[in-house]
Formats: sequence, structure tokens, C-alpha cells
Amino acid sequence: MTALGKSVKYVFIGKITLRNQLAYVADFLVRSLFLLLILYIFLQLWRTTFQGEGTELIAGYSFKQIMWYLVVTEAMTLACPSLCTRIEEEVKSGDVAFKLVRPISFIAFHYVEYMSEAAIRFAVNAVLGGALGLLVIGPPAFGAGLLWLPVAAFGGFTVNFTVNMTLALSAFWVEETRGLEFVYHKFLFTIGGMLMPLELFPEALQRIGHWLPLQAIVYIPAKTAVAFDWTRLPAMLATQAFWIAVFGLIAVFVYRKGVKRLNVNGG
Amino acid sequence: MASIVVQQLGKSFRTKKKREGFAGSLKALVRPDYEDKTAVGSISFKVEQGETLAFLGPNGAGKSTTIKMLTGILHPTAGYAEVLGCCPWKERTKLSYGIGSVFGQKSQLWYHLPPIDTFELMSRIYELRRGDYLQRRDQLIERFELGPYLHTAVRKLSLGERMRCEIAAALLHRPQVLFLDEPTIGLDVVVKQRIRELIRELNREEGTTIFLTSHDAGDIERLCERAIVINYGRIVFDDRVELMKRRFLTHKTIRLVLEEEPERVELAGVSVLEQSGVRLALSVDTELTTIEAALSRIMARHRIVDVTVEDPPMESIITHMYGYSGKEELAT
Repeated sequence: MTALGKSVKYVFIGKITLRNQLAYVADFLVRSLFLLLILYIFLQLWRTTFQGEGTELIAGYSFKQIMWYLVVTEAMTLACPSLCTRIEEEVKSGDVAFKLVRPISFIAFHYVEYMSEAAIRFAVNAVLGGALGLLVIGPPAFGAGLLWLPVAAFGGFTVNFTVNMTLALSAFWVEETRGLEFVYHKFLFTIGGMLMPLELFPEALQRIGHWLPLQAIVYIPAKTAVAFDWTRLPAMLATQAFWIAVFGLIAVFVYRKGVKRLNVNGG
Repeated sequence: MASIVVQQLGKSFRTKKKREGFAGSLKALVRPDYEDKTAVGSISFKVEQGETLAFLGPNGAGKSTTIKMLTGILHPTAGYAEVLGCCPWKERTKLSYGIGSVFGQKSQLWYHLPPIDTFELMSRIYELRRGDYLQRRDQLIERFELGPYLHTAVRKLSLGERMRCEIAAALLHRPQVLFLDEPTIGLDVVVKQRIRELIRELNREEGTTIFLTSHDAGDIERLCERAIVINYGRIVFDDRVELMKRRFLTHKTIRLVLEEEPERVELAGVSVLEQSGVRLALSVDTELTTIEAALSRIMARHRIVDVTVEDPPMESIITHMYGYSGKEELAT
């Protein structure tokens, strides 16, 4: 069977995950209510900040841009499934066995599952966040950024998957991985640009941020949407592609090492 | 031709030793103690194509570890194995097209979707030709009587219905070897019986090699020709099930409800396990007498309201067997 033929199975896995996830749409909606709360709090905070500064722009961003930036980053962050929890559970319960006895790639299977789930959650969050944004902030001036947002979000989710997969695969050694995930999330919240664009950080922190993969996850997609710049787009997408390649290779390496010493529980 | 060849296969795990108390836990953080635990010692056996093998042993004996090595999930620490000509842990993907597996306590079906969707997914995963898949699917639906709940979400199925779907899903790609890990666990008698019949039919008609682990004596008696018993990671018995029964199933239990309270029961080869009013439980030594003879002697004296004949649990047979040969073999 050709590589194209083989990839059909992953497309189908993606489709079936999407269908399975539809059962959880009500659950996603409830979770998305949290998004509304976060956005409301930041709305107040940024309004006060802009009033205090007495300027129209902070680090090149207007109040409206900052708020729409937050809508995108929060919608993406809340859309990411917890890969560490999933793989840790699979190893602990022994369900990992079912993935390993099939003619499928463990990492590719999880990737399509992750992306399908993230796509549904992101759509739900975007609708809710967008509705709130339109009501409270007013219509955004995304322009071409709106067209490139899905591409950059796809790249961002993929980078997040590869980094998370690398962390989650440590379950093959230690079984408890959520501590690592917790620390990673905190970095993503801060230096990853989830709470505010990297341009608002002190110079030194900005420089560090630009050398880390974290910027590729939510900062690049959100910036693409709210402050679209044709000249910077290729570099931003190349940054995402670079980190996907780096962490993709690391994940494959860790998987190959880990699967040899995997201890499948149960039975 | 052998489907499975196992040569001095062994697996040991390095685990952290837990120390007692809070101080012990703190010490373990600074200087952890490790111990090597042997899950499978050094086992060797062969399974011919089309054979039905029961792979038995008490909990923790190494059965599941062996299955996981033979399906390529675990890498052994010693020895070699070949399943359908493939080294499982080196050629796992290639092997996966030729084997099927059902783990009784785990589900491979998508919880919120009907079984038909999982079947469809399996057809894609195993890259089945559309025509072959549809023909096979319809055949399995008919044979396993899945029609009525094929379009019902898995979460709404009973355990028996779900298990039939699990086995059907594992058979869609026509595996040459089927690994069944406790396939009848938690099922009622009727469903168990039906599942055994189906697996037996499959073995007869398609020549599928069956590698079964179970604690259910019925599964072993009705399904398998040969049994391997493993304990403490070593093989303590490897022969025909008939022989195992003759050698080790020497006792059966008869449970009776009589019309009137019985007097003292004194029959050769029969001992009283329990007596309470009109209820009586007897242990029959089948080497000294037959069930038929014991029952006819009781019927000659009492009127019987109800009777059941039970085999001792598999665990006790295995413990019995281990007492016979295991210790000596392990000592060497």
C-alpha cells in the first residue's frame, strides 16, 4: 500500500474522533463559560491599564487588539486536550496495549486524535469568545489575518502537540507526568505569550521568548490574527515549522527509547 | 507448522522498593532502592497452527506479560520468540496484520459510537479491501448475531453484547493467531457458552490458532486441547487438557437440595463439605468413584429437589498442580 493509501487510515481516525467528540459538545460549552470569565476579568484589567497609561497604543497594540489577542490565545489554550493525562492513563490502565498491537503509528494516532479534538473545542471557543468579543469589544479589524489564523492555529496546535507528546512519553518511564505538564503550562501562560503579546515583555524576556518554542503555540496565531503583517508571515510560519520538526524528531526518538522499556500495567 | 515458537523467553522488571513509613519515603527520595522482579523466568514452548492453547496460571504468574511479549508490546530481557515467522518486538507492525487480540478487561470499541463505526475504523487500520471487508463484516454480524445492536452506542450495550462486538472487531482482518486474555470475565453462563462456541467454530472453520488465558475452568475444558500452566514465571505443566483433567481435576463438588434433612452421609470417595438443613455440599473424589455412582447412591436414600455439579475453581487446580510439580521444578 502506498504512503497516500496508508495516510487514509489516519484521516479516518480523525473523522471518527470528531464524531466521538461530538458527544462532549455540551461539556465543551460548559468549559467555555470559563473563557467568558477570563475575558471579562482581562477586559477590566486592560481597560484600567490603558486609562492609566493615557495612550491609544501599548507596545504597538490598541485596547481592541489586545482583547481580540486574548480571545484567540484563550480559545486556543482551552482547546488543547491534556495529552499527558491521556497517555499517563493509557499506560496506567494498560490500554496502551491496544495502540501498540495495531498497524498504526502511536504518535500519528495520537496526533490526529489530538487535532480533531482541538479543532472541535477551538470552534466552540471561537464562537463563544467571538460572540462575547463582538458584544463587548466590538468587531475586530483582522483583515487578511482572519484567513491566515486557521493556518497559524494549525501550526500552533501541532507545535503544542509535539512538545506535549515529548513530555507525555516520559510516562513510559515515570508514570506520573502531570507535574511536568503543570510547569510547561505555566511557562506557556507567561513567557509563551498567552496572557499578553511578547512585545509587552521586558527586552531581555522578549529575547528569551523568541528563542523558545512556546511563542509558536499561541503568540504567533494570535498575532497573525490581530496584527497581520505580510512581511513577517513567512518568518512566523517558518518558526512554527522549525519547532514542529525539532520536537517531532525528539518525540519520535523518545518514543523509540521508551517503548523498549515500557511496563504495561494490568492483566 | 508452528505459529508460535518461544525459546527461553524471560522478562524482569526493575522496580523501586518502597520503604516503610514517612522517614522511609524520605530516604527513598534521596537514595532509592531498586529490586529486580522476574515476571517470566525462562520459558520455552511451541504452538502449532490451528491449535487451541490455554495459557494458565494464578494472578501474577506471568501470563499477561508473556502475551504482551508475544504481541510485541513488551520487549523481553532474555530469550527469543517468533509468531507467524516474525520477531514480535522487532516486527510489531508486520505481525499486527496477522494477529488479533481481545483483552477481556479492556475495550477497543469507541465508547460513544456504535460498533459498526469501530468495524469501519478497523477496516481502514488493517487496510482491508472494501469488498473483502464488507463480506467479512456481514459474515461476523450473522455469526455473532450482532444485527440488533450494530447501530447502538457502545455505552448502551450489555457486557455480553460488547464482548461479542470486541471479538468480532478483532476478527475482521482474519488473523491467523488470536490472543484472548480473559475473554469471558464477568459474563453470565449463557453468554460465556455462546462465546466459547463461536471461538471454537472459528478455530475449526478457519484454522485460527487460539492462545487463551482464563481463570474459568469451563473456557479451558470446552475450548482448548492443550494447556500450559505457568507459575512464578516458569512452566509447571504443558500437556493436553484431557490429561490435566484426569491428573488434577480429581474432585468435583455436588450441591444438593433434598426434600428432607439427610442423615449422616457415608459413601466411599465422598466427603461432606457443608451441611445445613436440607442443603448439602459434597466433594467427590473422581479417582475413587464417579459422579453418577455418587448421585445414584444418594437418590436411593433421598428425594432430590435440586442438584448442581461444580468443578473446583481453576485457581485451586493450579495450586494443586503447583503443589505436585512446581516447587521441585522451580528448585532446579
